[in-house]
Amino acid sequence: MTTHSTGPNTARIPIRGNAFVESANGLVLRANRCKACGQIFFPGTALCFACLGTDLEDLMLSRRGKLHSYTISHMPSAHFAAPYAVGYVDMPEGVRIFTPLKMIEDKPFKIGMDVEVFEDLLWTEGATQVYGYKFMPV
Amino acid sequence: MRQVAVIGVGQTKFGKFPNRSAIDMGREAAQAALKDASVNPKLIQVAYASRLIDSGVIAQHILKGVGIAGIEMVNVQNDCAGGATAFRNVWKDISNGLYDYGIAIGVESMTTMSIAGKMLAPLSDDLEGQLGMTMPAVFALLANRQMELFGTTLEDFAAISVKNHHNACMNPFAHYQKEFSIEDVLKSRMICEPITVLECCPQTDGAAAVVLCSSEMARRHTTRPVTVVGSALLSGEYKYKQRDIAISDLGSKTARAAYEMAGVGPEDVDLVELHDAFAPEEIMRYEDLALCKPGEGTALLRSGATQIGGRVPVNPSGGLLGLGHPLSASGVRTIVEIVLHLRDQAGQRQTPDAKVGLAHMLGGSVTDLEAGACAIHILTR
Repeated sequence: MTTHSTGPNTARIPIRGNAFVESANGLVLRANRCKACGQIFFPGTALCFACLGTDLEDLMLSRRGKLHSYTISHMPSAHFAAPYAVGYVDMPEGVRIFTPLKMIEDKPFKIGMDVEVFEDLLWTEGATQVYGYKFMPV
Repeated sequence: MRQVAVIGVGQTKFGKFPNRSAIDMGREAAQAALKDASVNPKLIQVAYASRLIDSGVIAQHILKGVGIAGIEMVNVQNDCAGGATAFRNVWKDISNGLYDYGIAIGVESMTTMSIAGKMLAPLSDDLEGQLGMTMPAVFALLANRQMELFGTTLEDFAAISVKNHHNACMNPFAHYQKEFSIEDVLKSRMICEPITVLECCPQTDGAAAVVLCSSEMARRHTTRPVTVVGSALLSGEYKYKQRDIAISDLGSKTARAAYEMAGVGPEDVDLVELHDAFAPEEIMRYEDLALCKPGEGTALLRSGATQIGGRVPVNPSGGLLGLGHPLSASGVRTIVEIVLHLRDQAGQRQTPDAKVGLAHMLGGSVTDLEAGACAIHILTR
């Protein structure tokens, strides 16, 4: 699933530098939590939107969450050709994530189903590959 | 704060006009509103105009052609709530006693704009936009959630489109004057599941304008002024606070603020014009505006209460779905429709004995926030 650099002229950049880390077990989403009030944010933020605290600590999110809602778009977006799927995933840590979804033929999307994060190529801009996170049905 | 009245309304026909500029349409709407108000253009002291794409100093471009120059002119945009924002700012300036007469203009030319035929590109920092969030996707995600939580069906969403297109057939200014059946809507091209193309507002050109003045001065110009009794404009709250995407904290908070200022409740509202850019949204807005209890928007639709002739007609103009949606024009155009009903001038669409009308508009999609902006105005006769 992971798309690695294919040549000396190909750059590979993450969609958002601080949003995830690549581990031996695959991609892990990085949120952060305000040390003062406990509010969790994804992607991490330098300022707690709840209490304005500036002391936030990294919090690695679970790999699985539950699908809050989804849609399959038959129109292209700025970077994705049609059809493509997107949705909201409710994570056990209490954050809701908007994410691209991978369509799997024998696992149609259903609200409340378990979905799991994985790393994938998102789009290509010239010689640059932009990669990031997607979720897929378990 | 002083009481403010709407004394003149005007709009162009909505549609696709490749040979008309935004300035030309704005001028027509402004002239119509000034004529309707029986106000000498030289009396106007302040103007706010809204155009989202290719704005420039659109107020100045429009108003010099109707004999207005050398006054305070401000150009605002707030995505689809831009027109409502312009209206609110004229109201604020007059209410605060800064001026006695003002004009609000909203205009958009989707056909001739510099990015015509292209998608509005998300900002580079807008993570959700980069990851495939589009306006149809926002409301398709809502639709699937409504079906799950409230038992809303595909036929219910189609019924919104059927209703608003039906209403548009009675509006000579509407982009579309064509009846559609539930089956027509469901069988039309799929855009973003479950939303079909007939459940999406069309790309429309048009302009609308409204003349306001202090209620004290209004008596000099008209025997039937319409009073602005409630005005609220809020940005979306942080999305982490939103319990469920099918419950709009922004909508209900803005509505509460507007009702409180107006001193009326949802049970007093005789008609509503709201942001039905995509059919599922209208059902959610019934709940935001407390026209029914939370979760009962679908039942309200099925009861027929929101049709013309029902307890509280919603989008009798045809709404964004039928009348069309020239982005920044819509927030002024909704005011125009409410005023026509409050003056008994809405023809076949007339809400009988209308005394209180509500105009709602929503604008923009922002990562981390529920939406860009929500604007609600309540008007009475």
